[in-house]
Amino acid sequence: MNFVQLHLLLNHFPIIGTMVGLGLLLISLSGKNDDLRRASLIIFLAMALLSIPTFFSGPGAEGAIKKLPGISDDLIERHHGAAMLALLFMEFTGALALTALWKSRGISRPARWNGIMSAVLLFSIVTVGLMARVGNTGGDIRHPEIASQKQGVTEELMISKIIYTFEPSPDKFAELMTASKWWWAFMMDLHFVGLVMLIGTVGILDLRVLGFAKQIPIDPLHRLLPFAMAGFALNLVTGVLAFTGMDKYYTYDWAFWFKMLAILLLGVNVAAFYLTSAFDSVEHMGPGDDAPPLAKFIAATSLFLWFAVITLGRYIQSFSDTISVHK
Amino acid sequence: MIVCYKWPHNREESPEEEMSLALPLFLQTIEDTGFSTWLRESESPFAFYFILLFHTFGLALLVGANMVVDLRLLGFARGIPLAPLKRLFSIMWIGLAMNAVTGILLVIAYPTKSLTNIDFYVKLTLIGFAVWVMQRLQSQVFGEASLSEEAMTARGVALAKWSLVLWFGAITAGRLLAYTYKYLTFP
Repeated sequence: MNFVQLHLLLNHFPIIGTMVGLGLLLISLSGKNDDLRRASLIIFLAMALLSIPTFFSGPGAEGAIKKLPGISDDLIERHHGAAMLALLFMEFTGALALTALWKSRGISRPARWNGIMSAVLLFSIVTVGLMARVGNTGGDIRHPEIASQKQGVTEELMISKIIYTFEPSPDKFAELMTASKWWWAFMMDLHFVGLVMLIGTVGILDLRVLGFAKQIPIDPLHRLLPFAMAGFALNLVTGVLAFTGMDKYYTYDWAFWFKMLAILLLGVNVAAFYLTSAFDSVEHMGPGDDAPPLAKFIAATSLFLWFAVITLGRYIQSFSDTISVHK
Repeated sequence: MIVCYKWPHNREESPEEEMSLALPLFLQTIEDTGFSTWLRESESPFAFYFILLFHTFGLALLVGANMVVDLRLLGFARGIPLAPLKRLFSIMWIGLAMNAVTGILLVIAYPTKSLTNIDFYVKLTLIGFAVWVMQRLQSQVFGEASLSEEAMTARGVALAKWSLVLWFGAITAGRLLAYTYKYLTFP
């Protein structure tokens, strides 16, 4: 497996997955179908998470093909800039979907249509459009049979030209991130604050499910989770910004990729918690109640994986240049 | 004459350079020891980065647990009964112990880098105050079993606010250490 294969595998998710999510959301509009609506929100959230490693695998793919004959740096940069803009809207869509899911948790509260759902619909439509553009610009790099570039002149639709003005220049953005060491320090500082918010709230919930401090009922602990989400959002933003500043540094580092894998596994773990019987079995646990084995397993996995994320993150510096450039 | 200090650069050659203090030689003495050198230069994953990792774990436990108590005292997640949160203080003290031990080891690895950096002293001061607030929370708010939740909250609100501010400051000061040091090792 090399970076090109990884990128080509992963890019299907943000492009096609978002279309599926939007499709389900639109269908759910016609009838009052809560299951479809909730499914579309879960898909948007999952695609928002998967878009991150997709984006991160780009520079590695670029490194692998850059020197080949017929590859245009300009086309790569155009694709990269389009990806940055699409990622922004994808993450907004994911955050809105998460908010909508949080507010409608529990079977007694169906996913009603409200302002948040309208925002999800709007942002997901924009995201699907932008992702299509990312796919097109990506194909232009290496698929001469579909290229919009004929005899060296790039033909673009008016809408593409308009979107292009909003796309950042990847090189300039990277320079901006690394221009001042105080900005970098500030981003790293926020990264630690986010991790503390996350570990504190998720950790205490996991510990309670595992049996620590049984006098505390579960539901109010669960209400602290928005702080965990805010912490995660903070770390996602600072993390992506850090990556764009120094993409080659992170790309060729084993610890970084294992950290991303751990975070994806955490996503699977969260899905397991809410989509199986685990959440229902612990949601109304009072003082003294003991959680069933599945819930305990999920809680233990969560604690283990978050400490793995911290460990791998700390070792990024130590593991720099551990992946061969020729991959 | 016993030589206890060393100037960091040749002052006669560049008198217009910024003012700096002479560095005490004990810093070099520590750095030259086998242990300090091993911590700093070893390629083993169990050296410097391992210590730093457990320093991060300790801070996650200490500030994470303290933050939950603070947020509850400030009114978030009111469904959580206050009294059982007393259990969290044992997690906090474990985190603090881990950070005291790993902190000392980190200073042994890079004595000049830390002890000549004013940010390091700012960090220690903020931690000192934050731990003092934490100890007051434990004794004044959670120390008396007979207090009602209203009484506990009344006693704890101001402490909780200071706790959050002080810990945020300590984390920031700690993170900035990597960007504010003047000497990595004894020059």
